[in-house]
Amino acid sequence: MSTTFLPCSVYHENYTQDHAWWQTRFVKGKMILLLVLLFVVIPPFADAYVMSVCNQIGYTILGALGVQLLIGYCGQVTLGHAAFLAVGAYTSTLFVLEFPWPKFLVDWGLAYPISIIFAAVVAGLWSVLFGLPSAKVKGFYLILTTMAAQFVTVDFVIAQYVSKIGGRGQAFSLPPGTIKIGPWVIDSDRKVYFMMLVLVILCVIGLANLLRSRAGRAWVAIRDNDISAEVMGINVVKYKLLAFFVAGFIGGIAGAFWISNLAAISYEHFPWFWSLWLVGVILIGGVGSIHGAIFGAIFMVVVMEGLQLAVMPLADTYPKLLIDFLFIKEAAFGLAICAFLIFEPNGLAYRWWQIKNYFNLWPFSY
Amino acid sequence: MEVFLMTLTTGIMVGGIYALIALGWVLIYKCSGVLNLAMGELTLIGAYVSLSFYSMGVPFLLSLLFSLIIGFVLGVLTERIFLDRLIGEPILSVIMVTVGLSFFFKGIVELIWGTDTRVFTPPVFPLEPIHIGPLIIGQVYLWSFVAAILLLVIFVGFFQYTRWGLAMQATADDEMAALSLGVSARFVYATAWAIAFMAAGVGGTLLGNINGLNISVGYLGLLVLPAVVLGGLNSVPGAIMGGIIIGVLQNLAGAYLDKYFPGGVKEIAPFVFMVIFLLFKPYGLWGWERIERV
Repeated sequence: MSTTFLPCSVYHENYTQDHAWWQTRFVKGKMILLLVLLFVVIPPFADAYVMSVCNQIGYTILGALGVQLLIGYCGQVTLGHAAFLAVGAYTSTLFVLEFPWPKFLVDWGLAYPISIIFAAVVAGLWSVLFGLPSAKVKGFYLILTTMAAQFVTVDFVIAQYVSKIGGRGQAFSLPPGTIKIGPWVIDSDRKVYFMMLVLVILCVIGLANLLRSRAGRAWVAIRDNDISAEVMGINVVKYKLLAFFVAGFIGGIAGAFWISNLAAISYEHFPWFWSLWLVGVILIGGVGSIHGAIFGAIFMVVVMEGLQLAVMPLADTYPKLLIDFLFIKEAAFGLAICAFLIFEPNGLAYRWWQIKNYFNLWPFSY
Repeated sequence: MEVFLMTLTTGIMVGGIYALIALGWVLIYKCSGVLNLAMGELTLIGAYVSLSFYSMGVPFLLSLLFSLIIGFVLGVLTERIFLDRLIGEPILSVIMVTVGLSFFFKGIVELIWGTDTRVFTPPVFPLEPIHIGPLIIGQVYLWSFVAAILLLVIFVGFFQYTRWGLAMQATADDEMAALSLGVSARFVYATAWAIAFMAAGVGGTLLGNINGLNISVGYLGLLVLPAVVLGGLNSVPGAIMGGIIIGVLQNLAGAYLDKYFPGGVKEIAPFVFMVIFLLFKPYGLWGWERIERV
């Protein structure tokens, strides 16, 4: 997808303007307005349910960003991203619970923030480990190795070994008060919401900046044609592994963030379904743009919640529906992916791009 | 030694079923270039359909036949409704449509038949094992193997000797040339999907006879992926060999590695093996090597 057209009568006179993050003052104002909306306007009006939906959207965005980077920008199709989310979540949990923290760090509430960074790095390295085959194989074969990553990591290493650390059985419960950032104990949906906003914004800014750097251009070159990229002097293996690292890093952040929302963490939170779900999110949102991950996440979560709201009133007459809802959700998700791929292969982000351009170019749309 | 031989035979028998499902997969790939990730759900559908008929009191062979017919219809419908529109689209789109299909099918299957394990009652195959020399083999395995091999022979015969099978081979070999000779590519695609559905359905039914039928049989259907990678994506003999090798490997891993890595080593061994194998032979044992040019 190419860049957005500038509005009529806006011209760039030097490269600094061309490289500017906010191209026009209008865009800047718009983004600030969005921030105000997210931080100030929404929280007082939203009840716990809306907050939890927002958190789910944020989690999905964080997860989908890594998938978007790998699939949309680097062309490395991954069907095992939930594994890296799981690694992040488990690393963070174990680090918070088992690490012999000095007293003052816990008192200052630094244990959890440090564990997030640590979890992100571990997830990134784990992702690189499973990205290693990408040096030799690509396309469908790479899909299979990422699937193997999912089964090996979640269903074997975590379910059989990591879960048993500390003799807790299947699930790790997080005692109240352990998830603490500075003086704030993250114990309500509202607090999780603010944390989610900060993390999502940091990750989006970080990724977006990375994508307009040398690394980002190298990734796009690899996606478009890896042989040409190599001929141009890009170290393909290095940049592929870097993409896997960054994707795993963001996945680790997502996983480590999500434990703040869960009372107990178990490997069942990261099934293969979730990996495919994340890929579905970016397909529906639009492959190859950060907008795509965000729109896709909002769309999928809102539609699924809407479906739930629509089904719930019927549950009084058909009690079986409550049990079956999970299956309906699965079938609807599958159908949605198929429908989007067949009828709207460019995803929601493409529509957004069209709308923006329409207004930017109005009244002379040529 | 006896344990080794036992696991080996069991592996070969189960591998025969995998080979049958893998054949369906390779067929779709060869004819239409679709990399199908919904194979697990295809096995589920066929298995549940024949189980339903069997529970209603229909004789086993007849219910298998019904599931074949329904598989045929579903296969043609799936191809017509979903895959037909995606010819020529990027590979990721096509793969993800099959993923979407797998969710759709799985949701529907769970909606209709629930998630509890169901067994074929009364048991289709006699329960007492057969003794062949020092080996003790469950009759389920033996008969499943026989059935799978029988169907494999029928399918391979279909490709080699019938007019339709030859048309499919021609399309797989060179689509343009086949079209110019008057072969209908759309017919071939639809048939490929129908046969894949049928093969997967029979495979699923047999697998369901061994351990009872629930959603995890779909996971067993997923094991065809390591099998086809092992054999090479576009090789029918490769798929059959790959299926048998995966069956053997899986059972050997369950018997010998479980001591060292307790837990689900049997489930993931094929995938781990596949990744290691891919690093050394990315095109499988008999697959075509693709030479890329800019």
